[in-house]
Amino acid sequence: MDRLGMLAFSVIGVVALVVLARLFGFARRPQIADPALAARLVAEALPGFRAAEAAVSRDGSGALVAAHDGRVALVRPLGDRFVVRPLEAPIVARAGGLLRVRPDEAMFPETALDLGESVAMRWAGRL
Amino acid sequence: MNWQSILSTDPVAIAIPVFVISIIIELVAVRMGWRGDYDWRDTGTSLAMGLGNTISGALLAGSVTGLALWLWQHRMFDIPVAWWSFALCFLIDDLAYYWIHRAGHRIRWAWAAHVIHHSSQHYNLSTALRQTWTGLFGLTFIIKLPLFFIGFPIELVAFCGGLNLIYQFWIHTEVIGKMPRWFEAVMNTPSHHRVHHGTNPRYLDRNYAGVFIIWDKLFGTFEAERADEPPRYGIIRNLGTFNPFWVAVHEWVGIFRDVARARSLKTAFVAAFGPPGALSGETADALRAQWQAETAPPASLPPSAVPAE
Repeated sequence: MDRLGMLAFSVIGVVALVVLARLFGFARRPQIADPALAARLVAEALPGFRAAEAAVSRDGSGALVAAHDGRVALVRPLGDRFVVRPLEAPIVARAGGLLRVRPDEAMFPETALDLGESVAMRWAGRL
Repeated sequence: MNWQSILSTDPVAIAIPVFVISIIIELVAVRMGWRGDYDWRDTGTSLAMGLGNTISGALLAGSVTGLALWLWQHRMFDIPVAWWSFALCFLIDDLAYYWIHRAGHRIRWAWAAHVIHHSSQHYNLSTALRQTWTGLFGLTFIIKLPLFFIGFPIELVAFCGGLNLIYQFWIHTEVIGKMPRWFEAVMNTPSHHRVHHGTNPRYLDRNYAGVFIIWDKLFGTFEAERADEPPRYGIIRNLGTFNPFWVAVHEWVGIFRDVARARSLKTAFVAAFGPPGALSGETADALRAQWQAETAPPASLPPSAVPAE
């Protein structure tokens, strides 16, 4: 088999394994159920971060966690896991109760947090 | 035994069908409730990285082979291909792997190539195939070059390196708990390597071994897996995307960004060749020290403060 044939065969193999994983149900979409979970996720990802307050999106798709020292971190799902980012100079936009947050980092997706108007306004002011 | 015909084979290429079948078996086992986890998006990225690794390897391997050949032409000894030279080469190659791997974690320039392998938050057989596309640029291959200068034939070193890589495939699983005690004492195992992939401060930058765990025990980097502290897999700042191109280059981009922003030559040097996390203060050593300070028991009380029984 020539190299191009090997490459095509490998691509087919990769796709087959990914489809198999999908068919087996390895496709969970985790949600942040409550502020305590958000705080725990941030504490695990950022040693020394002591959560004081958290705001969780109503659909569980993300959360903001503030520390006692004033730092704020974002938690959002990626695949069936979560990713955490300390927010330093993030891009923030608010429309009513929807707060859109994007860390100053290439390729990190924007997170839309449905927090309700008063909460969104308060957190927008902190960021 | 015809060594030449054995060494002319590529053991990794032969092992690929075994890799695929093993992943299918692990998928089924985990689906049936065995310890472990998969995510199809994560698996897709891991396998795409593996595929890209073979392509980049085929494109770039020639340059290293040329350097190895030049060194071998100026070799110190004429080492024949035999059972004893194979065993010796395998052992020394594994020692070289230990230091290559250690450098890959302790020098950001080398980490930029190696971080890819750690960028999954999962730990399964597909993670084993999540390999770099830029390994050559990490420059850690330099550590292996003395083998050629000593006189080990290039095909023997390549063969041993291939076997080392194949060995490391099966240890990327949570399905296997602990191996027999004697095996855990000498060999790298799923348990030892789970520690290596952990981001828990206790586990950071531990267990660099390829095949023999003895190197970690010898050089003070061994940490046993604890039942009360399961590893949290991934990297300190887990990636926010499954895009394989970003997975491949994100740390290189970070280095060049930090070097461009550096206000002194020293800062630029640290950004490129210091330990990962040096600029932000989040090196493995700093995180471990912080964790130790937070979890250390309080200083012993003066005798007068100890209540009488």
